[in-house]
Amino acid sequence: MSTESSLGGLAAAARYYQDYGLRARGLKGQGKKVIGYLCALTPVEIITAAGLVPFRIKGDVNEPITRADTQMETIVCPLVRSCFDLSLKGKYEFLDGLVIPHACDSIVRTYDVWKYSLGLGYNHFINMPHSDDDSSLEFFEAELATFRKSLGGFAGKEISDEALARAVELCNQNRARVRELYELRKSAPPLISGAEITRVLTAAMSIPVEESLELLSSVIEEVKKREGAPAGGVTRIMVVGAQVDDMAFIKLVEDSGASVVADDLCPGGREHWSDVDVTSAPLGGIAERYLRKINCGRTYREMGGTYAEYLEHRFGHIGRAIKDFKADGVILYIYKYCDPFGFEVPQVKGYIESLGTPVLYLEDEYSMSTIGRMRTRIQAFLELIG
Amino acid sequence: MADFFAGVDIGSTMTKVAIMDGGIVASVIGPTGPEHRKLANKVMGEALAKAGLSFDEITYVVATGYGRINVPFADKQITEISCHARGIGSLLPAARTVIDIGGQDSKGIKLKDGRVVDFVMNDKCAAGTGRYLEVIAEALGVALDEIGRRSLEAEREVAISSTCTVFAEQEVVSRLAEGIPVEDLLAGIHKAIATRVYGMVNRLKIEREVAITGGGAKNIGLVKALEAKLGFQVLVPPEPLLTGAIGAALLGRDIVEEAVQSGLSLTRSERRLREATFFS
Amino acid sequence: MAEEKKPEQRKKRRTATEAASKVAPMVKAMIGNVLQAKEEGKPIASTFICCCYDEIIHAMDIVPHWVENYAGICGAKRDAQRFLEKAEAGNLSRSLCTYALCGLGFDALREELGEMPPEPPWGGQVKPTVMLGSGQILCDPRNKWFQAAQHYMPDVPVCNVGLTWPLYEDDYDYHEVEGYYIKYFVEQLRGLVEFLEKYTGHKMDWDRLSELVDLTDRTWNLVWEAYELRRAVPTPMGTGDAMNTMVPMVFMMGTQEAYDFFKDLYDELKQKVADKEGVIPDEKYRLIWGGGLPSWFALGDFNYFNSKGAVFPVETTYRMIEATYNYDMDLSKISDPLEHIAWRWLKYWTYWYDKARKRPGSQPEVERLIQYIEDYKIDGIVMHEAFSCRTWHVGLIWQLNQLKKIYKDIPSLILESDIVDISSYNEADTRARIDAFIDVLEAAKRKGK
Repeated sequence: MSTESSLGGLAAAARYYQDYGLRARGLKGQGKKVIGYLCALTPVEIITAAGLVPFRIKGDVNEPITRADTQMETIVCPLVRSCFDLSLKGKYEFLDGLVIPHACDSIVRTYDVWKYSLGLGYNHFINMPHSDDDSSLEFFEAELATFRKSLGGFAGKEISDEALARAVELCNQNRARVRELYELRKSAPPLISGAEITRVLTAAMSIPVEESLELLSSVIEEVKKREGAPAGGVTRIMVVGAQVDDMAFIKLVEDSGASVVADDLCPGGREHWSDVDVTSAPLGGIAERYLRKINCGRTYREMGGTYAEYLEHRFGHIGRAIKDFKADGVILYIYKYCDPFGFEVPQVKGYIESLGTPVLYLEDEYSMSTIGRMRTRIQAFLELIG
Repeated sequence: MADFFAGVDIGSTMTKVAIMDGGIVASVIGPTGPEHRKLANKVMGEALAKAGLSFDEITYVVATGYGRINVPFADKQITEISCHARGIGSLLPAARTVIDIGGQDSKGIKLKDGRVVDFVMNDKCAAGTGRYLEVIAEALGVALDEIGRRSLEAEREVAISSTCTVFAEQEVVSRLAEGIPVEDLLAGIHKAIATRVYGMVNRLKIEREVAITGGGAKNIGLVKALEAKLGFQVLVPPEPLLTGAIGAALLGRDIVEEAVQSGLSLTRSERRLREATFFS
Repeated sequence: MAEEKKPEQRKKRRTATEAASKVAPMVKAMIGNVLQAKEEGKPIASTFICCCYDEIIHAMDIVPHWVENYAGICGAKRDAQRFLEKAEAGNLSRSLCTYALCGLGFDALREELGEMPPEPPWGGQVKPTVMLGSGQILCDPRNKWFQAAQHYMPDVPVCNVGLTWPLYEDDYDYHEVEGYYIKYFVEQLRGLVEFLEKYTGHKMDWDRLSELVDLTDRTWNLVWEAYELRRAVPTPMGTGDAMNTMVPMVFMMGTQEAYDFFKDLYDELKQKVADKEGVIPDEKYRLIWGGGLPSWFALGDFNYFNSKGAVFPVETTYRMIEATYNYDMDLSKISDPLEHIAWRWLKYWTYWYDKARKRPGSQPEVERLIQYIEDYKIDGIVMHEAFSCRTWHVGLIWQLNQLKKIYKDIPSLILESDIVDISSYNEADTRARIDAFIDVLEAAKRKGK
């Protein structure tokens, strides 16, 4: 039990968010080893099962990128650059190791830069395949087995199937808790704002899964007891994008006169919507979830049926969220230099518009200096929705 | 009893105020400086003086433009996208697509039944805005209000390949040194900016009629270059700089009318013009 | 040599070898071939350079359309802007791969018009029968571009082939995981054959495939041997030419034409070496093009380097082969064609791993640079950062830093522009940088470095 959690859910979340890495530093002080990772495609179950502390590396939109450029090209995703910049500045000097999945070019092509610049004792790249067909899944399982063996070596102990099964259970519970929290967004007005959700979920990605579970449970209790809804606009907006680990943008949307009631983001809907199927060999279920159940643009979903069915297969979950959360409009918030999401814009925009929901496409750079420029567009979009 | 509505449009380069009843009662256009708050008060004061009205006689004030958050006496802030759309909707009702070329940004707006249905903006990059032309005009030693006319006197088409303002400046200067006539270069520059603007607006599926507004609409060379890209003629309102302010005022009127009809009370700004300090 | 801006008046770029000068008509013929195939109703497969499965396509009598090559041509002819703009108008970000933007913009325009856009470069890009991508380490557009193209051509099926290879890691050696990688490749390639049989109606000719696999091995070896001749002083061929000779290497691999081309190149270079005939008579500085795709519209810059006494005997860009007899396994023992392709692919991408292990702090790409610097007697290194291609350009800064750290402090130059988007290129600035670099090289030479 951590002393921070005695603060109460939302306050604790605020603390972890504000001082990102607080808990990881504390655990490090207790002798635990911390594994930093990028991207929601990293199987946290395996890191947890190894008895290590998984820590999602995030960026900071308020911190200008000043040191990364000496090692990393500027044509890299601005989020990745920000993460790297903070790492060089010592923000994550408590890390013992780095694990990254094959998420996208910006991540895989910079792996060497991360490895050699940070000089951590442990580095591992999980070569997640791009397609989700059967032989790809089989390959991915073999890759995860390689990771499991390697991480066990670093942890000093083989990762048993029992440990994995326990970690799967824990992570599933954690995700179920997030879905429960999201239920509180369905009301009009929602009981919890989009900015608060981002803060809570971001905080949660910096602490061990058991603690995240506690945190989320206490947040849900607190929010349910709320008497009034947080001030927010009447227009209900869903945000779709890659990783949004900072409140600034969501807050901007809400300050412009909207409530962000749903999302397909990481951390967020995309990351927490699906669970690992409990299988006799846990690695199989884990492979299946990360490759097939997480709906991310970097995974090439195999085509089946007609083109319309294909679009439904890829984006149907957005349509369902729009319905379930009664969104009036969707903001596509995509970073510059983002291949997995950038290439999809015409199709996903077209798909959402075909449902009769207006879409605002914003390209941004993960920095406070550019977020402000979104203000007029967001406001005009809300005026357009009326 | 006539109702008067005011629209205040603080753009990055120019500030515009329009006071309207059924039509335009008074308008003021002046350069924007850095101090928007003082400026808004000043320009509003001038417009009121021209109209022979006191601030109390204005039923509703809408602020728009880049500096709209710095209009303390405004009852509401509405984006220039909605305001330009409303303004053109009134001035040129046949328009389905509006292209606004301002000092530091440019926009495309798609209208349907007078409402904004889609829009696109370029405010990241000087190319495609008035700034681009300002920089080039300076480099070529031509007065800004002359470049359009002179560009039409070009004899040859010169292609400017740089879309970046800074690179384009370098390019024209070096071509000028090669002996290329100024008029030809100006034509090339206008074509380049028209191409850039057209590229941006093309995201909207352009529908006729197309109206051009903003400072760029006063540049005959730019209007012609855009018409060449579009392949048809465009509409230009009588005073393109006022479209936003007019639209803002009209939106104010719409808001008041809707409130009256629905019986809802109207939120007005608590700040009164006289409470804000003149010339402070 | 001043470069004219007006397209009609641009001078043709000089090449050092006869072979290189033959390439432009070869490309034109290749594109013409695709257009003709379309008219004759033959199946056409859009695909990417270094796709791994050239032989499979050829063995099934399918005509490949190389989308990057076509975008490169639009770029070289300085007629890519209208396609880039069309793509952008469709909400594709300018920060994406400009090859993809060009190709997608072209497709969008063609489908909208219902016919080829007016005056398309070299006849244009056809609507294909199938589109073949891949998921690997190389590049995201390979599994996103064709998916995005379906927005304009929803009836053209896509096959993404999984071809990823193990990275160079410290916690395990790639030999430990070879097994399941090869298994994966073989299954994926088999899936590709099934897909092609289904959507083109053509059947795989397995004997022919085996022949083409063997031909490819021999062609790879021949290319390597020809390129190794450039180690001579003076060097008989530079990177400028290599940007031409890469065409048969990557767009015609698995054909007799490619083999014959490199045979001719080999003979020509052998002769030049014997005659001590170099790219330029007075070779002062030998440079390596250490990374980055060239700006296709500015290949004349290589001549500019030449005019300053600098030559490029070697490059890493588009040197997409290794001599298979240098592999640490006997590839000839693998008789099954799909397995053979799989092993050749894996061993190509991991070629420098074992060597890198032997030098502390090294890493395969850096090790490769070191090898070339030593073999080709290199004085300086040039890198090109193209703003829209993360694949070939992310990591160049780091590689340079690492090279200097673990090997030696070698003069270096980083050029910046794009592969296809000319609006990012500033000739005056580029030439100024080159001039400054020449000064650095000269100073280093005098110091006897």
